[in-house]
Amino acid sequence: MWGGFRGCGRVLLLAGAARHCGRPHSRTQRLFSTSSALSTTKDESTASTDSAATAATKEGAEETPKQKLLKIIGNMKVEVTTKRKFQQLKEQEIKKQAANKQEGLDGGSSTEGDVQRSKPLNPELVQAASAVASSFPHSREQAESELLAQLRRHEETTDKQRRGETINIRNVISEMAVKRQSPAQRGVSISRRISLEMDEDGQRIKPGRPSSCSFDSGRSLKAGKRLNIFTKASPEMENALKTVSSPTIWDLEFAKEIAAVTEQPPRNGFEEMIQWTKEGILWEFPIDNEAGMDDGAEFHEHIFLEKHLQDFPKQGPIRHFMELVICGLSKNPYLSVKQKIEHIDWFRNYFEEKKEYLQEKNKQASQTFGT
Amino acid sequence: MAASALCWALRAARQVLPSQTRSYYVDWRMLRDVKRRKLAYEYADERLRINAIRKNTILPKELQEVADREIAALPRDSCHVRIRNRCVLTSRPRGVKRRWRLSRIVFRHFADHAQMSGIQRAMW
Repeated sequence: MWGGFRGCGRVLLLAGAARHCGRPHSRTQRLFSTSSALSTTKDESTASTDSAATAATKEGAEETPKQKLLKIIGNMKVEVTTKRKFQQLKEQEIKKQAANKQEGLDGGSSTEGDVQRSKPLNPELVQAASAVASSFPHSREQAESELLAQLRRHEETTDKQRRGETINIRNVISEMAVKRQSPAQRGVSISRRISLEMDEDGQRIKPGRPSSCSFDSGRSLKAGKRLNIFTKASPEMENALKTVSSPTIWDLEFAKEIAAVTEQPPRNGFEEMIQWTKEGILWEFPIDNEAGMDDGAEFHEHIFLEKHLQDFPKQGPIRHFMELVICGLSKNPYLSVKQKIEHIDWFRNYFEEKKEYLQEKNKQASQTFGT
Repeated sequence: MAASALCWALRAARQVLPSQTRSYYVDWRMLRDVKRRKLAYEYADERLRINAIRKNTILPKELQEVADREIAALPRDSCHVRIRNRCVLTSRPRGVKRRWRLSRIVFRHFADHAQMSGIQRAMW
């Protein structure tokens, strides 16, 4: 009963308002009987949905070939399944309530709409639109209104073009300014053109070569968002890490607790030996003779220590003594460079302190000898 | 505010002053030996350098005398010759094997129970 469009040759001139056309339901028919240009008295079927009816003016017109075409379009209907029938029922119910509210408004809006538009749409186009819309299984009014809106937009653009309000490319180009290049930049660009770089094979790299960024089906490698999977940790992250560190005692205790809880006893001798190596009980193999001793200093820093003797007097017994000390230190493989420098510094301080005392002593000795 | 400052002062004083020892060495002699070892470690460098000045024929005698006086002023326990290699387990001063730091009796005891690695009763 829902399928099939039994109304023949009647096209309704709608003004884009959601309105139920004459329906077989007696209740709705009564409601819509007062609305303008909607009555369909010639309905053959009991349940034809929103069938289009011609305007009263065109009722008596001859059937032009156009009208025949429209008839054909109108007769073309999509087959409606039961599911769609129920959907349509639902929609009809909803629309009914909405339309009941709008009924009073709609009566006046149709005439107003015509007045607002400066140029009414071509009636033929409207007829075609309504015929096409009627071929939709449901939401016929919506389809019609949308099609009419599209037509209106199209008309507007054509009007604009005729008037000359659209974007003129000439204006755009005239407004664009010429970019000035500094001579330095020009030099750079020139040098780029003549590239002396060599590729791996010994062939010159020409500028503007698309080899580096391959172009594949309209996409380039370097376009698009970066995933940041392989980039190094940014300095921001490093700063954040630094600020977070300096763990408190509680953090250390917590870490120790976790380590103590999670550690398992070694399953075999190898794991036991690994544990011992970590603790320091077992040496690392192959044995490194300088394990724990290497401070990264070169041999010349160990041997040539004369530069540290600059503050000492150049003659005399102290210098002689210090040279012997340095000779001994240079042969010592057990001390680090730092320790050797400390050794020499201690002697310097010691002799500085004793200087005044020695001078006093010399004066006293000379005085006693004198007297 | 004043109470916290007082507490901090007390704690600092306690650390500076010679603290009462609470550990459990075998006997007091062992403890004194431990103290001597600690001091000897602290003053080892200084003693070596002052002795280098003293045991010298190049430097003037006045300097050496001063050095003598200085080294005598150092604490007596800071010299290494006062350290005695006691047994680690029994604190026995004599009959201690240096490699194992054990007295001969303890060494024999453990060796017979096969608790000394690589030690076997000699037989030839």
